[in-house]
Amino acid sequence: MSAIHLRNLVKTFGDFTALKTMDLDIADGEFMALLGPSGCGKSTTMNMIAGMEEPTSGKILFGERDMAGVPMGRRGVGFVFQNYAIFTHMTVRQNLAYGPKMRGAAKAEIDRRVGAIAELLQLTPLLDRKADRLSVNILQRVAIGRSAIMEPAIFLLDEPLSNVDAAFRAVMRTELKQLQRQFRQTMVYVTHDQLEAMTMADRIAVMDHGVLQQVGTPLEVYNNPANVFVARFIGAPGMNLIKGRPAESDRGLVVDLGPLGVTPPLPDQLASALRGANGDVFYGFRPEQVTLAERGLAMPVTFVERIGARTIVHLGIGEGAVKAVFENAVGLAIGQTAVVAPEASSVRVFDASTGLAIKVGG
Amino acid sequence: MAAARAKPSPRDEGARLGFRLTLPAQILVLFISAFPLLMQLYISVTDWSPLSGIGWWNAWEMWNSFANYTDLAADTRFWSALKRTAIVMLVCVPAEFLLGLALATLFADDFPGKRIFYSILLMPMMVVPAVAGYMFFMLFQSGGPVNDILSTITGTPVTIAWLSDPTLALIAVMIADIWQWTPLMFLILLAGLVGVPEDQIKAATLLGANPWQRFTTIVLPKMKTIIIIALAIRVIENFKIFDTLYIMTGGGPGVATETISVYIYKVTTQDLIWGYVAAIALAILIVLSIVAVFAMKRMAKAREVSA
Repeated sequence: MSAIHLRNLVKTFGDFTALKTMDLDIADGEFMALLGPSGCGKSTTMNMIAGMEEPTSGKILFGERDMAGVPMGRRGVGFVFQNYAIFTHMTVRQNLAYGPKMRGAAKAEIDRRVGAIAELLQLTPLLDRKADRLSVNILQRVAIGRSAIMEPAIFLLDEPLSNVDAAFRAVMRTELKQLQRQFRQTMVYVTHDQLEAMTMADRIAVMDHGVLQQVGTPLEVYNNPANVFVARFIGAPGMNLIKGRPAESDRGLVVDLGPLGVTPPLPDQLASALRGANGDVFYGFRPEQVTLAERGLAMPVTFVERIGARTIVHLGIGEGAVKAVFENAVGLAIGQTAVVAPEASSVRVFDASTGLAIKVGG
Repeated sequence: MAAARAKPSPRDEGARLGFRLTLPAQILVLFISAFPLLMQLYISVTDWSPLSGIGWWNAWEMWNSFANYTDLAADTRFWSALKRTAIVMLVCVPAEFLLGLALATLFADDFPGKRIFYSILLMPMMVVPAVAGYMFFMLFQSGGPVNDILSTITGTPVTIAWLSDPTLALIAVMIADIWQWTPLMFLILLAGLVGVPEDQIKAATLLGANPWQRFTTIVLPKMKTIIIIALAIRVIENFKIFDTLYIMTGGGPGVATETISVYIYKVTTQDLIWGYVAAIALAILIVLSIVAVFAMKRMAKAREVSA
């Protein structure tokens, strides 16, 4: 009933194409994050699901039902705005009661529902407070409660944490995730913050320039990025990618990285998948999955960042620059040469002309 | 002894310097507002007029023990002028408000030719009131364009003597005022309307509110402060209605369109009893001050509510 299906969804504003054919299936009760940099079309997608904007072409289905022409007030979606859009001239109670009241619910019924939702969101003591002087986490709860009272099958959240300072965001993330468990609705969450997407979402849809790049669970997206964009975008710092050319060696298939030398031999499965292809590739590995080794890539240390227990070491220059993350202090200083070896299982290879990942075993 | 006198704290020092620096401005304000007020108060308890042959500062010689105020209470022409002013205000201000609000709502959305209509709409406000008075004087002549249009619509020749009929003259005067001042109302209300957060309107829509519900539950409450400002400006201005009206009717026929300002003007220039004029003006000032204070109180409250 509350699954969402996007079919060939396109949205243009004059000459500008905000969304180029989007297909996405969001399951009933799923927490789906739309993740991407500014201007990637994630908010446009959400606004179309909510009915605030009409698709240029394509279809939006809620379950079996085509939403074309259904006005936003009748779609049964709850929407939490970036700035919460709380009615500041009303009390918390009036905010919560707004939806049922506008739909002509009886007074006793409204009171009962407001009481129940306030209890659930721990807003009961604040019911008669004016909504213009509330802290952000309470505003967020009022915004959620105001939508949740309508019992929408679908909840849309538009970067609700972007106005919150970093320290508080962690608290809010936990709170949001707990709320979703309570309501069990289909949730679509728009964000440009991968940490939010990674920690809360069941699945992530990564978008860029109006194109859906990859859909998958947080770990899938992290471990097996579908293309170069996702590889760079997910992770902090993103995946290291160095351009090179596959070459045979006596130890197996390696990637010739030019001035950096050759990589350690590729794992068998990857090597066999790559043997058919020709042309340049990107040799990719996660900064977190690197060890200091005897043999590997020898690169000069250009910068060392200590972030608490973690150390981020910047290596190399220009197109061959990479980062390595270590969970402890390493005895490396700027100017020294470090020899690093990616863990064999973490190596990913991308076709340099298409940017797509070379799939293993497929 | 000198030692016992405490050295002024820096704070006192600052306050004293501030006082000295603002003194010229304070004296200026005193002369602009306080002095005329006191002078008016002084003259209002005398029989002084420019023909008395003594300077106004010697008006105490003509002290009449508040006779002007007792006369005022019994002055039927004053009371009917006050009543007429109130009627004009009670018709014009709500009409201007409703028209202005309707236009502002219309102009909050985009439509083709909006900029041109916007300029045209603001034009009446720019017309010098005396010129507007002449315009409407000509329009409402018995052989004028208004009757011509009515003739075309009804199909029979219409020759209404608008400005010679007591009731119609008042209506004509009100039409002129509404024509000229609806744009101001429109402008202020439009500013208030575009200031209503769009997200909150969208949120209300998503919660199922229809356009009318959105207007009454979100838009109007958010505009409360600006509505009070707009109404207060127009109530006070309309109370002083004079130039357009005076040129159209001169307060006539008879005293049919004689408002407070017209009455004061006539007493000042024709009867020359300035002591009495001062008393009338003071009474009006008190009435308007009460309106202003009331409006400001409501505004402070509204701001508290909508902030």
